[in-house]
Amino acid sequence: MSSLLDTFGVLSVFFWNAPVLVVLVLWAAACLTSLLPSKGTWLPGGLALAAHFLALLLTGYLAWAVLSYGEIRYALGGWLAPWGIEFLVTRLSVFMLITIFSVSTLIVVYSLADLPHDVETRLLGGYYTLYLLLVGSLAGLCVTNDLFNMFVLMEVAAIGACGIIAAKGGPECTEASLKYMILSCLGTAGILLATALLYKLTGHLNIDYIAAGMNTAVEHYPINSMVALALFSVGYIIKAALFPLHVWLPDAHSSAPSPSSAVLSGLVIKVYAVLYLRILVQVYSPEVFRIVPVNELILVLASISIIVGSLYAMAQTDIKRMLAYSSIAQIGYVFLGIGLMHPTGLTGGLLHIFNHAMMKSMLFLSAGAVIYCTGIRTIKDMKGIGLQMPLAMSAFTIGAMAMVGIPATNGFISKLYLAMGTLEAGRPVYLGVILMSSLLNGVYYLPIAIGAFFGQQDPESWPVERRDCTRLPLRMAVPIVILAGGCLFFGIFPRHMLVLIEGTVAIIFP
Amino acid sequence: MTLLILFIGLYGLIVSDNLIRKIMCLTIVQGTVIMSFLTSGFQINAAAPILSVPESAFVDPVPQALMLTAIVIGVCFNALALAFVVRYFQQHGTIEVSEIHER
Repeated sequence: MSSLLDTFGVLSVFFWNAPVLVVLVLWAAACLTSLLPSKGTWLPGGLALAAHFLALLLTGYLAWAVLSYGEIRYALGGWLAPWGIEFLVTRLSVFMLITIFSVSTLIVVYSLADLPHDVETRLLGGYYTLYLLLVGSLAGLCVTNDLFNMFVLMEVAAIGACGIIAAKGGPECTEASLKYMILSCLGTAGILLATALLYKLTGHLNIDYIAAGMNTAVEHYPINSMVALALFSVGYIIKAALFPLHVWLPDAHSSAPSPSSAVLSGLVIKVYAVLYLRILVQVYSPEVFRIVPVNELILVLASISIIVGSLYAMAQTDIKRMLAYSSIAQIGYVFLGIGLMHPTGLTGGLLHIFNHAMMKSMLFLSAGAVIYCTGIRTIKDMKGIGLQMPLAMSAFTIGAMAMVGIPATNGFISKLYLAMGTLEAGRPVYLGVILMSSLLNGVYYLPIAIGAFFGQQDPESWPVERRDCTRLPLRMAVPIVILAGGCLFFGIFPRHMLVLIEGTVAIIFP
Repeated sequence: MTLLILFIGLYGLIVSDNLIRKIMCLTIVQGTVIMSFLTSGFQINAAAPILSVPESAFVDPVPQALMLTAIVIGVCFNALALAFVVRYFQQHGTIEVSEIHER
């Protein structure tokens, strides 16, 4: 009996500290994977998977607690808010945590089979270390309420991301990681300088306390607070790869191993978009947008990003490079939702984070499956491949339809909310942008899907590295099927995620 | 003053051709940010609040503690970037950016 009580005691401590454990579980697993012997190839991956399941359990608890009792504040080490670091779990953080862990768990399952193909066996443990560091710091970025802590987590995430891009070891991977590293370091330097300016103005690093002091700060030192806003904007736009500062993304996302591409495109850039939203609406007050029309700037950049990303994607011959350019277009939708500054538009933008995380990681994984089984990377060689790999290409087709926004897929729901948002905000121009980009998406996604099933194979144009089709391993097939099912499920029943988003939007626009 | 050094760093980052020099310029940019953060707590003739709170004016210790962390992170970042440069040299035989793109 007493041992049972003890178990409950341990469990209650476990759940009581859930906001910080959701990060620490992954980081502890990261430390362990780096120590494991490199011979057993399944051990690091299994540990990563176990850590993800624990984190999913904690996320489930946090979701239940936040939905029934409201937001959770957690003081790290018992130091209370203005002095210590504070974690704040809101509906928005729960939404992001669910997105991160559900997609990331499936990517880990996939990587168990795919990675030994791309990465040397002795590096597998190191790969999972970096992967877990990255995912853990992404989770931390969603729950932290402290600007300096945010900076530290961003740097950890950047180091992890550079590592998993370079894991494959080819010359193009090294160049891509170096490019990403330099640009992201500039971005975080800008964000740190902006944090320094806000600290000088308000004397706090906690977002709530900064927000309380911001009104007087803007009144007395308008230039300083505007410079801080500009630096935040540049930093987060580099990190989230919005149009003029997207140059690092196509190289990084296309040269990395497929699981890395999926997590980078699906999750990493979205988290920075959410952080930028928090800076805009939680730190600064709406009056700022009357002094400097930041949201107009975001709208213009997002529109250019949507159109230019799609146009570039049409010109690509490599499938993963095309998907990477398409990510630039899709992050434009998220920023469009933020820039509209309207409840419906923001709902669409935030919902697109979850939807795009699912469909883009699924597209990368199914493209990775094609590369794994046949070695084909170029789009024109994929003609007729659908009959050899029906599962991967069916999933790709569902993803392509979701990208275009065909009804009954999840892309349709978020585009519908965005489109209604543009009309309700009185900006019909941006409705034109959304419609045009859907058309462009159709132009470059659908021919791949159609060609794969109805095209004729041309054996003479096959590349030298083409292999005979091997069977798709179960560990790669299951995540693809689950993600494809998710794309359809959330296209027909979007209610579940909308509950979390509408709670967030109701707080931002009371 | 820090702004001047910041722009020197950014200028060097843009014009320099050598990857190691680029990383050095990046370190300069990081250094200016750290200096700028440190000045926010500084006062002339103020004491350091070690062990007990001094009676006269004292320096805000928070930026110093924070910047210690930022410096550590900067070192890690430089180490990783330099490791990439080593690998870059092994793969391309040069670290001049323009030479690689000429080929």
